[in-house]
Amino acid sequence: MFWRRKSKKIEEFYGELLGEDISIIEHLADGLLVFDRINKLIIINPQAEEFLVIRKEKVLGISFLSLSRFPNFKPLISVLGPEIKEVSREEAQIKKDFILEVTAIPIIAEGEKFGTIVVLHDVSREKLVEKMKNEFVALAAHRLRTPTSAVKWSLGMLLKGDFGRLSAEQREVIRKTYVTNERMIRLIEDLLNLATLEEGKYLSKIALFDIEKIIQSIISENQERIKRKNLKVEIKKSNNVLPQIMLDERKIEIAIENILDNAIRYTLPGGEINIFIKASKKEIEIQIKDNGVGIPDDQQEKVFSKFFRGANAIKMETEGTGLGLFIAKNIIEAHGGDIWFNSKEGKGTTFYFTLPTKKGYGEFLTKEFY
Amino acid sequence: MAKRILIIEDDKFLRRVMTQKLSKEGFEISEALDGENGLKKAEEENPDLVLLDLILPGIDGFEVLAKMKQNPKIAKTPVIILSNLGQKEDIDKGLKMGAADYLIKAHFTPGEIIDRIEKVIGR
Repeated sequence: MFWRRKSKKIEEFYGELLGEDISIIEHLADGLLVFDRINKLIIINPQAEEFLVIRKEKVLGISFLSLSRFPNFKPLISVLGPEIKEVSREEAQIKKDFILEVTAIPIIAEGEKFGTIVVLHDVSREKLVEKMKNEFVALAAHRLRTPTSAVKWSLGMLLKGDFGRLSAEQREVIRKTYVTNERMIRLIEDLLNLATLEEGKYLSKIALFDIEKIIQSIISENQERIKRKNLKVEIKKSNNVLPQIMLDERKIEIAIENILDNAIRYTLPGGEINIFIKASKKEIEIQIKDNGVGIPDDQQEKVFSKFFRGANAIKMETEGTGLGLFIAKNIIEAHGGDIWFNSKEGKGTTFYFTLPTKKGYGEFLTKEFY
Repeated sequence: MAKRILIIEDDKFLRRVMTQKLSKEGFEISEALDGENGLKKAEEENPDLVLLDLILPGIDGFEVLAKMKQNPKIAKTPVIILSNLGQKEDIDKGLKMGAADYLIKAHFTPGEIIDRIEKVIGR
């Protein structure tokens, strides 16, 4: 490729780009922009002109930041930042139903950066199909709720003796059916959560929240289960006053609930769950540590994948859909955070996740962008 | 005198199960299949409690609730929402609009629903 010919002078690269290789660039199906070392636009191919609804004559020679005056460039600047940072396949929504995947690669020769290539790939169709799939899953899951409720109600009445006394054998069969139906209800709820989460860009109502309060409310919602299993649940924090964080409250609740739910479920009666909240300048780190059954070594790499369930977990609890941690990971990452864990079978598991505290975080999350 | 309950629910089977259970427990039941009819019956019959579904043909349950609260004749009639919608926003919205309780269908059996009804209006 042209920028690898090390012996050439920088000027010659550009000369070459603008000369003999230009027809290749012009006929690419992807949009292509090339910026020089001071981030001035020096090449734009016809596909990029079409994507961004712009004429070459108007933009060539203009610096990256000044391009923000063209409305279609704004989403690109949101993705690439003021410096045109290196990104790989990040999505930028140019307008409704028109989404580009943006890749930016620095051009480096002889240890020196002398420009950036930005590739724009149209993924609108894929996104549309994905959206339709999610809508279908959400609709199907929602439609299943009424019949499963009807089954629950009927079986509930049978079990209560509303239709006469049942023999022990009849009762047992109906009880088992009732429990199976409860599993189905939960599975449908998880599917519905999943579909809503995959839809759009995960985050909707972003505002400043106190993470400790959110954790406390989740604990109190689960108080009954915690008591029943005689678990000790404690929150500790590094600072007395924790900074508030920009987040989507409902989504973060789902994420923490899913992690804590596992801790409760897979910790034996009398066990302990410790939650540490650590704040630094950059981020808040949360640890949820249990002394439960742990995750077997050979299965640890699959923990965050869709529908995964630990072999020991399945033996312990027939319920569970294998979606909880997959959903949690999606949510944390959508917030710009990280999630990881360490675990030892028979000893316990600690889940960690971070959420950035930086104030400017919300500025790219404008409504039209999401 | 038996307490009177109006059930506004569009699903035939769910409505029948609920009616059956409530009648058995000694309540007097009236039924409506959609929001418009439910609102009409609430005003005409002035029940002791309304059991309200949210997703209904025509005007939905939230709208029924809002209209009931605006009508001085039935503004005080307690309403228990009984819905499939389980999102926190829906629950908050329903309670904020003045519902006495919010029950998610799949989380309660008819027996438990009656416990909640009795908490609101007694026996």
